[in-house]
Amino acid sequence: MKVLAIESSCDETAVAKIEGGGDSLILEKNAIYSQIDIHKKYGGVVPEVAARKHLETIIPLVDDTLGKDKLKDVDYLAVTSGPGLITSLLLGMTVAKTLAYINKLPLVPINHMEGHVYSNWLSNDELVKNSQKYFPSLVLIVSGGHTELVLMKGHGDYQLIGQTLDDAVGEAYDKVAKMMNLGYPGGPIVSRLAEEGDDKAYKLPRPMMDKDNYDFSLAGLKTAVLYTLEKKKNINKKDVKDVCASFQTAVTDVLVHKTIRAVGEFGVKSIMLAGGVAANSNLKSRLSVEAKKLDMPFFFPEIKYTGDNAAMIAAAAYYKIQNKQADILQGKEIFNLQPKSNWQLVK
Amino acid sequence: MKEYTSNNIGDTQKIAKEVAGTLRGGELIALAGNLGAGKTVFVKALARAMGIEDNITSPTFVLMKVYDADFGKVERLVHVDCYRLEHAEDLQDIGLGDYLNHDNNVVVVEWADKINDLPEGTIYIKIESLGGDKRKIIID
Repeated sequence: MKVLAIESSCDETAVAKIEGGGDSLILEKNAIYSQIDIHKKYGGVVPEVAARKHLETIIPLVDDTLGKDKLKDVDYLAVTSGPGLITSLLLGMTVAKTLAYINKLPLVPINHMEGHVYSNWLSNDELVKNSQKYFPSLVLIVSGGHTELVLMKGHGDYQLIGQTLDDAVGEAYDKVAKMMNLGYPGGPIVSRLAEEGDDKAYKLPRPMMDKDNYDFSLAGLKTAVLYTLEKKKNINKKDVKDVCASFQTAVTDVLVHKTIRAVGEFGVKSIMLAGGVAANSNLKSRLSVEAKKLDMPFFFPEIKYTGDNAAMIAAAAYYKIQNKQADILQGKEIFNLQPKSNWQLVK
Repeated sequence: MKEYTSNNIGDTQKIAKEVAGTLRGGELIALAGNLGAGKTVFVKALARAMGIEDNITSPTFVLMKVYDADFGKVERLVHVDCYRLEHAEDLQDIGLGDYLNHDNNVVVVEWADKINDLPEGTIYIKIESLGGDKRKIIID
């Protein structure tokens, strides 16, 4: 079965083609056009600029991905229909809907966060071959807009265990970067500087770490960083690195502590990491150490699949179709599909 | 103009309840205050006062979140964040136009000070940190 997927939920335009067959998943094409350089000067994504860029890049990207075979061997189209920026989502969805309708192909709407979960399948052959062995799995989803602990009982079967009550992890990183004028996107910059800093230089809180639930709160930590900086007034390069290191360790402490505690309570058979912040090496190595202590398999996506991409959307669509969980739209009903900018994977 | 001093989250909740009591639907509330001032905390309290039980999280990343409400005529609380926006037109681009000036909606905009030309009748709420948990809240 071949799936062509389109993703345009934020500032990346992406198209990918995947072939799935039982215990194999072959990524045939994976094209991404990133707008990060364009949005850098604004310190964040500007919706109108993003939408215009999607408009310019999406057709050439689809043409390129399909080559001269066009849609000949494609069985399903998939598209991200939320969550994301409404104007960005609309572009990818309009292209996907049009392609599906004209070529009489079924269209499968996919939740962007579910795509992130399936980036693990793109990166780990063992998961593709023996999925069932690793369910239930505890998935820590961390990105610019999300911070959730999800119990994945099987393909497409999720239970929300905990989530952020205010800021998402990626957002906290971005805001800390902005406080020190470090640039955009903040996450990779802060984590790179953190490697050279002393994480014990500043005492920062670990919000909600010892609370008896799996929710997170990062707004207070962000504010604590702000107060620390205000108190110091003159901040040299070493201070910046120390603040980054102290902040990163505080975030990782809370994420790892809660994840590992949930492993015990829910009797899971594996741990997975997903979302843009899955690229954070501090988080990955700390989780990997703790997982090893428990003799628990730990999966994470390759760096190239941590950012937004269409390959993960295609993979999620493949498993949903395969397990008869997909919302398959055909013919005129394709046009009923609307973007859901706040679509939550699990309520 | 009304000025309040809030010593803790409980006080902020009381002030938010007072604001909620004045809402009839169709209002636009502009929230201003620095990073960490407690804008999202105020929106959480306002939502709670309006009987919304959803988990209100920062809309910085997705720019706008919409919550269902059942509060008099108000059916929706629209939570917008201008932190990453530059101009008033950007608000139209994220689809806010669909929700503004609608009797069944209350729209709360964080970082509203980044947008100059907000419509007449906008309720302005400014939150200033006085150190620790203490906040000055000015409603205009």
